[in-house]
Amino acid sequence: MSFDTIVLAVCDGVAYASLVFLVAVGLTFIFGVLGVLNIAHGSFYALGAYTAVSAGIFLTKAGFSPWLTFPALFVAAIFIGAVLGGLMEKLLLQRIYDKEQVLQILVTFAIFMILENVQRLIWGVQPYFMSEPLQLLGNISLFGISYTAYQTLFLPALAVIVLLGLRYFLRHTAAGAQILAVTEDREAASAIGIDAQKVYFVTFIAGATLAALGGALAAPTTSLMPGMGAEMIVLSFAVAATAGLGQIEGAAVAALMIGLGRSLAVYLAPEFEVLVPYILMVGVLIFRPSGLFGAPQLRKI
Amino acid sequence: MLILDQVSVSFGTVPVLRGVSFALKEGEAVAFVGRNGAGKTTTLRTIMGFTRNGGRITFDGHDLAGVAAHLRPGLGIGYAPEDRRLFSRFGVEENILLPAQVAKLSAAETKRRLDRVYHILPELKEMAKRPAGSVSGGQGKMVALGRALMLATRLVLLDEPFQGLAPVLANRYAEALRRLRDTDPSLALIITESNPHLLRSFAERTITIERGEIAQDVRNEGLAA
Repeated sequence: MSFDTIVLAVCDGVAYASLVFLVAVGLTFIFGVLGVLNIAHGSFYALGAYTAVSAGIFLTKAGFSPWLTFPALFVAAIFIGAVLGGLMEKLLLQRIYDKEQVLQILVTFAIFMILENVQRLIWGVQPYFMSEPLQLLGNISLFGISYTAYQTLFLPALAVIVLLGLRYFLRHTAAGAQILAVTEDREAASAIGIDAQKVYFVTFIAGATLAALGGALAAPTTSLMPGMGAEMIVLSFAVAATAGLGQIEGAAVAALMIGLGRSLAVYLAPEFEVLVPYILMVGVLIFRPSGLFGAPQLRKI
Repeated sequence: MLILDQVSVSFGTVPVLRGVSFALKEGEAVAFVGRNGAGKTTTLRTIMGFTRNGGRITFDGHDLAGVAAHLRPGLGIGYAPEDRRLFSRFGVEENILLPAQVAKLSAAETKRRLDRVYHILPELKEMAKRPAGSVSGGQGKMVALGRALMLATRLVLLDEPFQGLAPVLANRYAEALRRLRDTDPSLALIITESNPHLLRSFAERTITIERGEIAQDVRNEGLAA
């Protein structure tokens, strides 16, 4: 394996890990606070991507500056997270928080199936592609290898901002303290005046927006096809489980491990590309059943 | 001030409270006594809004049916649950201050209430900076009382505060309750306990609950305070 290939694989891996991290941290944040494993999280990813591309195509066709496709990525993600995530939490999840976990998973799985088909109804099955944001930022040279700045700088920088921002928000703001309190003990939190229902609502929207943002940011790097949501939910679950469910910093480490593992496989043993994330997950879980950073029986964020 | 009128609660098909009625006057201290499983904790949790109940609870003229659980502390009700339930990710003082922060009290008002808590529970001041997860069970009960007192301007509900306390700590807790009665005579108290004799010294009334029903409601004679 040549040095160039390693640099390429690392660039691929870091870019991919950044996207997977955004989705997985949303999944793990929702699980940490609400205790719900949201299968429909993959749909938020896919719909975020499709919405961002549609918005981008609309903007460029209407003759606006292609730079506007950048804010469109974020607006699309927030729109999907707030509207779809908000509706899902208010209309469905709120009724099932005190029910068994199996039922919660089945309900979110049903929503996933419905949204997957809604997506086919709206966008059909032909691939969609929008590369403006990728081209606008141009390429940079890394150890003699030319790679897109979007993937080597923009995506990792955003992932780091999200990680640090979330950490800061939870540990150093009043709203973050309320989320931590509700996570640890919902009833005791209510007894000191915290509106747990509102905390759940806001947390779910934030988590859903992160998934949609992952999708929107992935859109310029890949072509959108049916099934992308399913692939991502399984992968981000692998990341969250490897890290330990509810572990935010852990999700970043696990995403990097799985992203790099996957991209190295692409160059070294392409037939294992799809398998590598799950081999890593199984390897970790055999030795640490609660994940790399998880503590047994303790729900934490 | 607090009126429970034919309050009933069931968990599934099992009735836990059956037509519980009593009224509490301003500043009244009540020992709420009964065996394990008699319905003491459920009564307190129902006042706080954590169960679905039949009947009617009125507090300072508000029908609590229309007041969500998280808004009840804002009416001046503090609650220290049985198993203390501190937030282990925060320090001791942070636990005590969190209710004030949530209620968006002014800095001056927060300080006034914190000073009152430290006056009643001076030992909390020494452990203010310690992580709440590191304090002993007995100390945790003191912290839980302090946290409840931050919002308790009218009524405080203490669920089995003496259970599992070492005698030394139990004495200190009892002293703190006496200081609380002296500092704030208009604050009403409900303290649950399985031992009917323990609370005689600072509760002027004992209500006994058996199998979800009020069995006895008597004034304690010869109260020192």
